Amino acid sequence: MKTLSNKNIVITGASSGIGREIAIEASHLGASVILIARKKEGLQATYERLKAGDHIVFSSDITNYMELEPLITKAVQKTGKISGFVHAAGIEMTMPFRNMKPDYYEKIFGINVIAGLELARIISKKNYLDESGGSFVFISSVMGKFGKEGKVAYCASKAALTSSIKAMALELSQKKIRCNAILPGVVKTSMVENMFASLPDSSVEEIIKQHPLGLGLPEDIAHIAVFLLSDKAKWITGSEIVIDGGYSAG
Amino acid sequence: MKKKDFYKDLLEYLELDETNLDETTNLKALEGFDSMSILSVIAFCDEKFGKKFTAQQLNAIITVKNLMELIGMEEFED
Ligand SMILES: NC(=O)c1ccc[n+]([C@@H]2O[C@H](COP(=O)([O-])OP(=O)(O)OC[C@H]3O[C@@H](n4cnc5c(N)ncnc54)[C@H](OP(=O)(O)O)[C@@H]3O)[C@@H](O)[C@H]2O)c1
Repeated sequence: MKTLSNKNIVITGASSGIGREIAIEASHLGASVILIARKKEGLQATYERLKAGDHIVFSSDITNYMELEPLITKAVQKTGKISGFVHAAGIEMTMPFRNMKPDYYEKIFGINVIAGLELARIISKKNYLDESGGSFVFISSVMGKFGKEGKVAYCASKAALTSSIKAMALELSQKKIRCNAILPGVVKTSMVENMFASLPDSSVEEIIKQHPLGLGLPEDIAHIAVFLLSDKAKWITGSEIVIDGGYSAG
Repeated sequence: MKKKDFYKDLLEYLELDETNLDETTNLKALEGFDSMSILSVIAFCDEKFGKKFTAQQLNAIITVKNLMELIGMEEFED
């Protein structure tokens, strides 16, 4: 039996990058995946790379909080109760602190933090959660632990996410839900391509140099995520798992 | 946008000590202009003109006039 057989896993940010790779890998390990993101073409491209199964696609903006519970209800009606949740949706913002505005913080926190916590809260309800419990994985970032110029909002959002999983792990342990955060260094995805385009070449070179093993690939993160989703990780909760090619070793 | 308002707003975004800008000012030679300043200029163009530029596009810019040309001269009046 494959490690994720009989598990239904909800994945946000599944139209691209890290979320896409986690969805693909989870499907190959036997899971049914419920893909969530806004862009239909991106979701379709992910869907086409899944191992065939009972997968569902929802094109939705996760900051429309009121739409989240109906979406989970529909998913459970179609595939059954949920035993895994991955919050990989996220946005980056590189902006000097002097030019920040309150609505920029609200936007980044809405996607990176609030939508993820709200989905976790909904999925942890008895009606939706698998009887055997669940595993929630939040894609945070090493930026939640270390500073970087131009990243005040992003760092704040990721630190909030990393901290929240600890409190959540304590509260949800009674329901046999494990909550963990993955803290990647810089991974080659469209988010990073766009960020690099906004930076001078010298800053890009410096970022690459700060990763002794070079930049990561989405699959490097997916391998850890599917492990955390599996029962092999049954004694891991409230943990921050750093995977950054040596970025934080320096 | 009036050119004099543009100069004033740009200086405010960049938070530089300089008090006078005009079309001939060499932006990158201004004291305190650094890699964060490029990001400020990108944010400024997006916020004020709804135009998204990359650092590569801004690399080619030397004077304030070059920046105005990138944004589009039709956006400015004397
Ligand atoms: N790449 C890195 O170096 C790196 C490093 C550390 C942490 N991370 C984190 O890893 C996660 C994935 O990033 P990535 O690099 O894979 O970026 P990406 O390729 O840009 O993917 C981001 C995903 O988030 C989704 N998303 C954004 N806003 C959304 C919204 N309002 N509603 C629903 N979905 C939304 C996007 O889908 P749509 O646009 O289709 O909605 C997309 O699927 C993020 O949380 C990021 O902060 C990335």
